[in-house]
Amino acid sequence: MKKKLLALLLAVLTLSALSGCAAKPATPAPEAAKTEKIRIALVLPATVDDLAWGQSMVEGLKAVQNTMGKDKVEIATSEKLGNAVDAGSAIRQYATQGYDIIIAHGSQYQSVLTEITKDFPKTTFAYGTGFATQPNVFAYDPQAQEGGYLLGMLAALTTKTGIVGIVGPVESGDAVKYNYGVQQGVLKGKADVKTRTAYTGSFNDIVGAGNLAKTQMGAGADILTGSSQQAVGALRAVAETPGKYWLSTDMDQSSIAPDHVLAAQVYNWEKIVTKIIELRKKGTLGGQVLTLGFADGTIDLKYNPKLADKIPAEAKAAVEQAKKDIISGKLKVELPKK
Amino acid sequence: MNSDIIIIILATGIRLATPYLLAALGEMFVQRSGVYNLGVEGIMMMGAFAGFYATLQLGSPLLGIAASLAIGGLMGLIMALVSVTFKAEQGISGIGLYMFGWGLSGLLFRLYVGGITSIEGLKAIKIPLLSQIPFLGPVLFDHNMLVYTAFLLVPVTGFILFKTSWGLNVRAVGNKPEAADTLGVSVVRIRYQCLIVGGMLAGLAGAFLTLGQANMFADNITAGRGFIAIALVYFGRWSPWGILLGSLLFSLADSFQSMIQVLGINFPYELAVILPYIVTIVALAISYGRVWAPAALGKTFQRGTRG
Repeated sequence: MKKKLLALLLAVLTLSALSGCAAKPATPAPEAAKTEKIRIALVLPATVDDLAWGQSMVEGLKAVQNTMGKDKVEIATSEKLGNAVDAGSAIRQYATQGYDIIIAHGSQYQSVLTEITKDFPKTTFAYGTGFATQPNVFAYDPQAQEGGYLLGMLAALTTKTGIVGIVGPVESGDAVKYNYGVQQGVLKGKADVKTRTAYTGSFNDIVGAGNLAKTQMGAGADILTGSSQQAVGALRAVAETPGKYWLSTDMDQSSIAPDHVLAAQVYNWEKIVTKIIELRKKGTLGGQVLTLGFADGTIDLKYNPKLADKIPAEAKAAVEQAKKDIISGKLKVELPKK
Repeated sequence: MNSDIIIIILATGIRLATPYLLAALGEMFVQRSGVYNLGVEGIMMMGAFAGFYATLQLGSPLLGIAASLAIGGLMGLIMALVSVTFKAEQGISGIGLYMFGWGLSGLLFRLYVGGITSIEGLKAIKIPLLSQIPFLGPVLFDHNMLVYTAFLLVPVTGFILFKTSWGLNVRAVGNKPEAADTLGVSVVRIRYQCLIVGGMLAGLAGAFLTLGQANMFADNITAGRGFIAIALVYFGRWSPWGILLGSLLFSLADSFQSMIQVLGINFPYELAVILPYIVTIVALAISYGRVWAPAALGKTFQRGTRG
């Protein structure tokens, strides 16, 4: 009996320790919420500071808050909810607490949302990357291949060894889209430059990503890139080796390796969230696919000013031209065939 | 494949084997004394964080290593308290320790560091002369100090376990604790010692990830390596040389599959990623001989009762 009690106690203790760091409890709805305050909840598979997918959305929400006023927008975040079942209960809780907009920031939340959203017809839900919508569910879809294409071109025209290395997470979803874009861009940039694509089989194994990056560099790659929250591990490995460079996606990662990140594909979530808020005000609670792309500025290319001299002038010119062509619709970056 | 590529595969395999080796050798002592500690993963995460944080604050990876040993030992002590003194079910206490370590390391990281921060980790030490040997030099003698430590620990732990009286006591306690007890060997003390040593080595394995590999910390940095280490103890039949073999087999297969992918050899990526697991399982399945385990493994010891 004593044994069982103890085990139970330990389990409860650890669970509380876990959940303590997993969820920042949302401040209970204040009575003053009557004053047109928009309450947004965000559910993340990884962390708010992953320097990738999750953090880019967090910063987008902060930007919305700064633009609209801190008293007008309330934000609550739950992180480390990679497990769809846990995420489901967090989403349901937020909906019950009366949040107006609930963003489930991952494609894995699609099926969880279908179960929940019908019970809360007045709440707006959003998730992505995805396509399937419901009357109160928005899906968002970053055209990761567009930035991948431009970065691939940049890599092909900048590499000295003629090899571009991709450190991928799992061969699915956004990673495939992004990598396919990079491959096409490299080919367009310089036909004899090789793209080498490898996957770790995980989204959050930063040590594994670092080791894969080391193998890529050992085998000759001098410009590397990769998506997902484990990418910082690969970037850190690149940053240890002089003459090797990184191209980041989702957000600008140059803060941790200012001398090694050449350029970044940056998602501008502020515009997407603002659009959701406006649509909701007009009475549209969902039902649309919101596309992120270069055309409307929801994706942008950012160069690292510190490394401007590492990119040949003709490379930058070619990339800028391709960017214009993507924006005007003249250039369409293909998606991988299913 | 030219020799440069083969050198990379072998050198990477040796590097990758290090955390498994450290954690598994520690767990070997624990299990030899009759306790299985499923909390290795959590201890590794705490060790990884302690090593990272001490290095960040104090500027020296050596102090980071010291911190990881201390925290690892402390985590082992907690496990000992719960599973030996309080006699809680070992499996459940281990899982509890794992979740505790995971949650706490993530929480401390969030509170005291805040975001992704990189550190100056351990540098590779080229062994003079030996690293000049063609082929073998870059494969074996161009690593950081924890890699050398892990491989040196194989004969050292083998000696301790099989040639010293303390090692004999550990084995006795893990096989026939009642007999050891009647001969005046303190079962409780030996198990405490083993859990603390095992915790220290798991902490060191974690520190290897942050100081010797990633040079940063992130939540769940171990990504399952602690559990693989436990499996490798079974694979290695509770012997240091068997654990060495298993660690190398798994890591070389891992390093090999990375290179296959990188070189674009036409091989499905899904298969490549699981190759290390397949190789290990197959090796385990075809290795013959009777499956031996410490007889009292997993049993709590209560003086005066039958085990």
